[in-house]
Parts: sequence; structure tokens; C-alpha cells
Amino acid sequence: MPVEMSLNEKLYWIQQSVPGVLPELLLTLGLLLILLAGLNRKVTVDMFPWTTVALLALSALYTGNIWHLHNQPVWAFSGMVRNDTFALYFKLLFDIAGILTVLLTTLSKAHRQNGNGHTDAITAEIQKHRPEFYALLLAVVLGAHLLVMSMNLVMAFISLELISIASYVLAGFSFTRQGAEGSLKYFLFGSVASAIMLYGFSILYGLTGTLNFSDVQFATQLQRLHDSPLFFTAGLMALAGFFYKITAAPMHPWAPDVYEAAPTPVIAFFSVVPKLAGIGILSRFVLAIHAGGPSVFDWQAVLSVVAIMTLTIGNFSALAQKKPKRLMAYSSIAQSGFLLVGVVAFLPQGTQFMLFYASVYMVMTYLVFLYVQYFEDLGFTTIPSFAGLGRAALWPSVFMLVGFIALTGLPPTAGFTAKLFIFSSLWESYQISNKPILLVLLIFGLLNTVVALFYYLRIPYYAFIKNGETGINTNKLTFENLLGLILVLSILILFFSPGLLMGWINKINFVL
Amino acid sequence: MQPYLISLLIFTPLLAAFAALLLPAETKNSFRVLTLAVNIFQLLVLVIMLRSWDAAGGLQFLEQRNWITLNLGSWGTLQAQYLVGADGLGLPLVALSVFVMLIATIASWTVYKNVKGYFTLLLILNAAIIGSFTALDFLLFYLFFEFMLLPMFFLIAIWGGPRREYASIKFFLYTLLGSILILIVMIGLYISVHNPATTGKLVHTFSLLDMSNPNNFISNSIFDPNNARMLGPWNVRQWGFLLLFIGFAIKLPMVPLHTWLPDAHVEAPTPISVILAALLLKIGGYGLARIAFPVFPEAALHFSSFVAIMGIVSIAYGALNAMASKDLKRLIAYSSVSHMGFVLLGLASVTPEGVAGAVYQMFSHGIISAMLFVIAGVLYDRTHDRTIANYSGLSGRMPAFTVMVLVAFFASLGLPGFSGFIAEIMVFLGAFKAPGANGLLHESFAIVATVGLVLSAAYYLWTMQRMFFGPFDLKGGITADSIYDLDKREYGMLVPLAIIILLFGIYPQPLIDIIDPFARHFTETVLNTGRNLGVTINP
Repeated sequence: MPVEMSLNEKLYWIQQSVPGVLPELLLTLGLLLILLAGLNRKVTVDMFPWTTVALLALSALYTGNIWHLHNQPVWAFSGMVRNDTFALYFKLLFDIAGILTVLLTTLSKAHRQNGNGHTDAITAEIQKHRPEFYALLLAVVLGAHLLVMSMNLVMAFISLELISIASYVLAGFSFTRQGAEGSLKYFLFGSVASAIMLYGFSILYGLTGTLNFSDVQFATQLQRLHDSPLFFTAGLMALAGFFYKITAAPMHPWAPDVYEAAPTPVIAFFSVVPKLAGIGILSRFVLAIHAGGPSVFDWQAVLSVVAIMTLTIGNFSALAQKKPKRLMAYSSIAQSGFLLVGVVAFLPQGTQFMLFYASVYMVMTYLVFLYVQYFEDLGFTTIPSFAGLGRAALWPSVFMLVGFIALTGLPPTAGFTAKLFIFSSLWESYQISNKPILLVLLIFGLLNTVVALFYYLRIPYYAFIKNGETGINTNKLTFENLLGLILVLSILILFFSPGLLMGWINKINFVL
Repeated sequence: MQPYLISLLIFTPLLAAFAALLLPAETKNSFRVLTLAVNIFQLLVLVIMLRSWDAAGGLQFLEQRNWITLNLGSWGTLQAQYLVGADGLGLPLVALSVFVMLIATIASWTVYKNVKGYFTLLLILNAAIIGSFTALDFLLFYLFFEFMLLPMFFLIAIWGGPRREYASIKFFLYTLLGSILILIVMIGLYISVHNPATTGKLVHTFSLLDMSNPNNFISNSIFDPNNARMLGPWNVRQWGFLLLFIGFAIKLPMVPLHTWLPDAHVEAPTPISVILAALLLKIGGYGLARIAFPVFPEAALHFSSFVAIMGIVSIAYGALNAMASKDLKRLIAYSSVSHMGFVLLGLASVTPEGVAGAVYQMFSHGIISAMLFVIAGVLYDRTHDRTIANYSGLSGRMPAFTVMVLVAFFASLGLPGFSGFIAEIMVFLGAFKAPGANGLLHESFAIVATVGLVLSAAYYLWTMQRMFFGPFDLKGGITADSIYDLDKREYGMLVPLAIIILLFGIYPQPLIDIIDPFARHFTETVLNTGRNLGVTINP
């Protein structure tokens, strides 16, 4: 991209760029609209969820439209962002995840007060602050959209901050002591991570003289510096920020506290949207610093070590958990490790398989959180309290079991297919490069599945096997179970014919 | 040849399981009758299969449909098929499954807790077991293999004994660990193997038939036999064999990976013990014969002594443990460990006799262990006590039962005239012949293994003497009026099992005719390709 441009050229560029970012413009306008409408007391609160869903659906439609129009990457805003199939696919995922989050929020207890008597403090507060809640949700989705499109270090930083700042507030949305603690921890950890990342970015800028990390200059300069420890340090610092966003070890300790205290829909949202956005930009950035060709510093090994640590810490810490939400926090850390495996392969199909994993991960995460919230609303907040639920609420328990089986990665669920795929690309990568660390990762990753089974089965184990008295009487035809059924069916269908999704993912051309 | 028979066997129970879900839970008998009907239907299908079986051997009843075909751009195509068939290895085990599942259903008649859930899981398990024994596509096999775990886990964990939770989790974790090792190799294999039938494009296939032919390996792929890279003490293909071996040995189970088995058996309800011993253990042996040996023949030859020694250790250690067991079910469980050691020894000999003996042993042990666990169940139903020391002189009160126990014990200890004898003598023949015929194993192996026979005679005869002979006496608070002889349902289970044991002990030819072509083909291909590849890899 030309750096020096006349004003006219710049205006022309901006004009040309607008159609490419229509979904993002829509989201921006929408979130402002919701904020403004929230100030008007005459507007009923019920309007906000559906406006949000409509905005996200429109954004998804536009994104789909852009997908159909262009098969080549389209640059916008002088190389700040780029619309390519890789980014577009992620953006679709974010929009769908956003819609699912809104559905989860509307399904939370506040909406079922009449059935249950007392109102839960958490959801009541969401009620009170609805417009802000949805505006923040949209802000995170917007940030995620921008992050996966970013081709520029500053753009990446700004989008990441947009996600982070909105997330800090969302994390505290339960307005409890715990929520405030989680939010503050998140904030402190996040700001330090951002600072480190920014420092890394500035060193990289100093080393290469460009902020555009897909630029040839970026690659050639790094190639020249391939053995400079400064380059390695700067790269590590920059990566640290992304690791923080995807809750990869050692940047993960904030997650359990935040997950425990935040409202359930927000956790589901956190474990999907910011994480996948982080994985998206990480794939790009790693490719950029790796593109310098053979370097003294092996980025593949760095990522492998991080993936091994993430998998091990996430899985082993999850073993000791007694609350479903904390368990899911560690599970989400461990799942980041699996997503990283797809990135580590450094192969085109590795990226594609990672996208498949990401899609399946989204479905199974929402499936599990749907029922975590469902049971939480009924008063089941610790794992032992699930005892005997299998009989009292058969279908919700069975659906939840499918979710856990999928997260473990056992057939016949798409979770197995996804694991099969990413580990295939890792084998392939080992076959090409012959690096022992990849084999270690392969074995560690798969053996971790055994550990994972142990804790993923804990809730179904209490639900089906432990005998317990539960006073609940479930209404079998709730909307949860319909949504749950849809998610369960998609998990099963994607196992029996993964081609339905891979057909789309195959069209994705991941280039720097 | 009817190309849909195997699908009928696999999908009828699945459909029935679905139907069972829709039936109201109160109609308890409907689930029992439905399952029994499925079993009888499968028996009919099996009869048709046996009648149309081509005595020349080879893969028959082959069904091939595309299942997953994924185009992955420059990397090629991923292909998994619905590929099922039966040969001299699969057919005896399918026949065993159909028969044992029928016995298990009859044994399940006395399950009263959550009947609907129980029989639904039993039907799913049925489909998964038959699927595992017929799948010729690795992914399909893996699907059935894993799909067996969940029903089994719940069947032990919900309907089991006092320590069922511990036992079921242990069973699940051990088996999952094994299947993860298998998964690692499966992934490596499918990226290394292409389908030769498709020209012009690269099709990565999961077909076990393609994997068994070394020409189908993509050059410079991870498991390429012409370019096997070293990884520590062994090359990658040897590692692949070892991982598969350990994965299946956990299932078999082989000492020292057997510790889940006694726990699972003791806690599982009688019909589940029957299925576990008679069928699930066989999947370990089946996997070795179907996958590990043919796919990595040169590694199999390289490790044959190791495999045989592990087999002998299992035979001896299992027998010694059985002798020390105080619980009847635990004794039978350890005797299973001991007898499955013969499968390892037979396969490791890579001689037609040894391999045929291994397959015969799987079939025969399936029937015998089913009978033994039914016997343990009969006693447990009456007294809720399986402690051997608490019984004495039962023969006076339960004459018919004692006869059945005699048949089962004698069959299990390998007395001539019972099916166990034929299997074990064939394994010994193979093991004795191997050093001269193909240079594998050592002469002493077979001699050491015969000690196992003596030990099993010892623990069975000792148990017999303690429990059934001598003066009638009961300890541990068992009342004498709880002891009564067999009822009709129990006769219905034990008599057919005894007949089959005697039949295949006295006239083994029909079964040998089915197994023999497979055993000869297996030996020939493993030896030939193994030696050729061995030369390429270690010139």
C-alpha cells in the first residue's frame, strides 16, 4: 500500500473502503442507537434483545454477501484492514455467537420469574441495565470483527482494546462483590498484558519501520534480523497480548475468577468471541513473524510449548473444581490449547481445520452453557448438587451429556471430528518438519483427552449415577430444549457429514 | 451373496434402541421382549450368513459406501467409508456376539431397575460390538470401538454392585487411554496411506484393506515403510505397532494393563460381566489380528518375542492371581486374563496353527467365560454372596448346577473334549513350530506356557473341591433355604452354552474350516510383507 497519498487519494480510498466494512458500520451505528434509546425511558426494555439480534443477523447477512462478492482479499483504509475469506468466516462466527448470547440472556431466569418465584440478583441487574448490556455486547463483537480484519499493528491494538474494555465491564455485570473482584482482576491483568503487547509492537515497528505486518518490508527486515534477540523478545511480548485474550498459559489466571462471577451468557460469550478473535489475529501475526523464513528462533516451538502448557494446566486444574462455571473456565483454557494446535501446524489445512474446530467449539460451548444456566437458574450451582438430575430432567441432562462428550472429543460427535482434523494437521506438520516438539504436543494433546474425560464426565456422572433427591419438576417443552436440540443435532450432523461445513471452510484461502 | 446382511445385524438393534426410547417406561416387559426379538432376528441373519458362507474364505458380505469424502484442496481428499465385511476372523466373533447377546438378554430378565434405560443401552452396545467386529475402515472401527464405552460405562455404573462408580470410571479411563493410543496411530496412518483405486488425485483413506498393503503408503509420509525414521530406540513404524499393541492390550487385557478388569467384573451385573468377558475382551485380540499385525508386519515380527512373553506373563500371572482370589467372580476375571494370554502367544507365533488357535481361543473363551459368569450370577442371585470360602458341599443341594459348573470349569482348564482344549493345543502347536518354521519365538516359550495349564487346573479343581464337595456347610450368614437348584431360565442359558462348548470340543472341524483360510492368509502376508519390509528398513 502506498504510504504517501494526497488528500484526494485518501478520500477516494475511504470512499472505496466503505462497502467492505458495512457490517462493522452497522454494528457501530446499532450500538450507538441502543445507547441513545436506552436514555429514553419510554422505550420498553424488551426491544433491546431483539434489536441486537436483528443487528447481528443483518451484519451476518452483509458479511455473507461480501463473501459471495469477492473471492480475492479486499483491502480497505490504506491497508489498515483487509476483508478476506478467513476474516469473513470468523466474523460470521462472531455474529452467530452474539445471537446465541442474546438468546441465552433472554432465557435466563429474569424471563422466567413467574415460574420460579424469586428474582435472581444477577439477571435482575442485567434487566436494569439492558441497553448498556447489549451495547457492550455489540462493542465486543465489533472489536472482534475489526481484530480479525486487522493488517496493521495499531489497528490490531485498538480492536483488542475495544474488546477488552467492553469485556471488563461485561465481566462485572453481575454487580456482586465477586463480580467486581473478577472484573478488576480482568482489568488489571488485561492492562498489563496490553502494555506488554504495545511495547512489543513498538519494538517491532522500530525494527522494521512499518506497522503493516503483511508488508514485504516487515518480512524482509525481520529476515535480516532473524537472529536478533530483540526481535525474539519483541515477538514474545506481542504474542503475550494475544495469549492473554485466548486464555493461553501462562496468561490464563484471570479466567476462572471472571468466569465464576460473571453472568452465564457473558461467560459463554467470553469463551467464544474474544477467544476466537484472538486466535484469528494470532494466526495472522504468527505467520507474519514466521514469514521471515528460517529464523534462529523457532516460533512453532514457542507456540507448541504454550499449547502444551495450556492443555496441561487447563485440564489438570479442572479436575479439582466443584462448581460447573469454574470447571468450564478451565475447560475453556484447555480448549484454547486445542485451537492452538491448529495454529501450530503452520499449514494451510491446519488453519482450515482450526476454523472447523472453532466452529464446533462454538456450538458445543453454547450447548453446555445453555444447560449450565438452565440448571443454575433452578438452583444447581455445585457439581454434587446435580445428583439424581438425570431422572428428574432427562432430556436436559442427556443434551448436556452430548455437549460434554463433544468437548471431550469422543465419537459420534463433531468434537471428535474436529480433534481428528487438527491432530491430522499436526501429524502432517511433523511429517514435513520432523520437529520432536510437535510429536510431544501430539501425544500430550491426545493424552490430555483422557484427563479431560474425567472432569467432563463429572456432571453427567452425578446426574445419572449418583442417587439424589431433586425437587424439580421440569416442563419438557421449554425453548431451551428446542435450542438445545438444534445444537445437539448440529453436533451430531457435523460428525456424520463434516463436509457440510468443510465445504465452506475449504474455500477459505489463508494468505498473509 | 447378500450384501446387506451385516448392515441388518448392526442397524436392527440401533433401530430397536430408538423404538425403545419411544415406548412408555412402565411397560417393562415390552423392552425385554423387544431386545429378545432383536437377538432372535440376529440369530436368523447369522444362520443365513453361515449358510451362504463361501468355504474358500476371504472377505465376504462386503458392503462399501462412501461416508465422508472431504476435499481438502492441495492436501488431497480425506475418505472414510462405510466398509464392512466378515472373514475367517470376523465371522466367528460375529457369531459369538450374536449368541452371547442372546444369552445376556435372557440373563437380564431379572433386571428391575430402570428397565427402559437398561435395555436401550444394551441394544446400543449390541450394535457397537457387531460393528467393531465387521468394520474394515479404521474410522468406522474407531467409531464403534468408542461408542461401546459410554453404554458400558453407564451399564456398570448404574446397575452395578457397591463399588460400581469406582469400577466404571476405572474401566472408562483405561479403555479411553488405550483408544487414544490407537487414535494417534490412526491419524498417522490415514495421512500416510492413499487409495490406489483413485488415479490422478491423492485420496487419503481410512480403509484397513488399503493400509495393509505397503504399496499404498505415500512416499516420505510418516509411516512410509521405505523411509522409516528413527525415534529413539525404534523407528516410527515400530512405535506405531507398539502404540496399537498397548491400546489393544489394555482391552485384551494383558498383564500389567489388566487391573481394570477384576474391578469391572466384580461390580458389573451378571449380563454385563458376560458381555464384558465374552465380547469386549475379544475386541483387543481382534484389533491386533485385524490392524496391528497386518498394517505393521515387519514391526510385528520384530516384536513377536516381546508379544509372546507378555502373553506368557499374562497366562502365568493371571492364573496365580486367580488361585489367590477369594471372590468367585474375581477368580473368573483373572482366569480371563490368563486365557487371553494364549491369544497373544498364538498371534505372536505367526504360524497357521497358532493364529487359528488364537481365533479359536477367542471364540471358545467367549462361550466358556459367558457360562462361567452366568454360573457366578446364578449363585449370586440366590445368596448375594460370592465368597468362595463361604460355601461347601453344594453338590448335594444343587446337583444340576454342579454338573454345569463341572462342564464350565473343565472346559476352561483345557480338558480334552471341551472347546478350550482345541484352542490351547493349537496355540501350543503354533508356538512349538514357530522357531523351526519361521525363526520366531524361542523353543522354551511353549514349554513355559504349559505351566499355565497346570495352574488353571489347580485353581479350578481347588475351587471345585472347596465349594461343591465335602460336607454341606454355609458361612457368612447365608441361609440354607436360599440354596435351590437351577430354574428354567437358568437351564435355558447354561444348556446351550454347554452344548456349544462340547460340540466344538468334540467336533471342531466346522469352526476350523472357517478360521483356517484366514489363518493361512494372515500368516503368509504377515511373514512375506514383514520380511520384505524388514529388509528394506534394516538392510
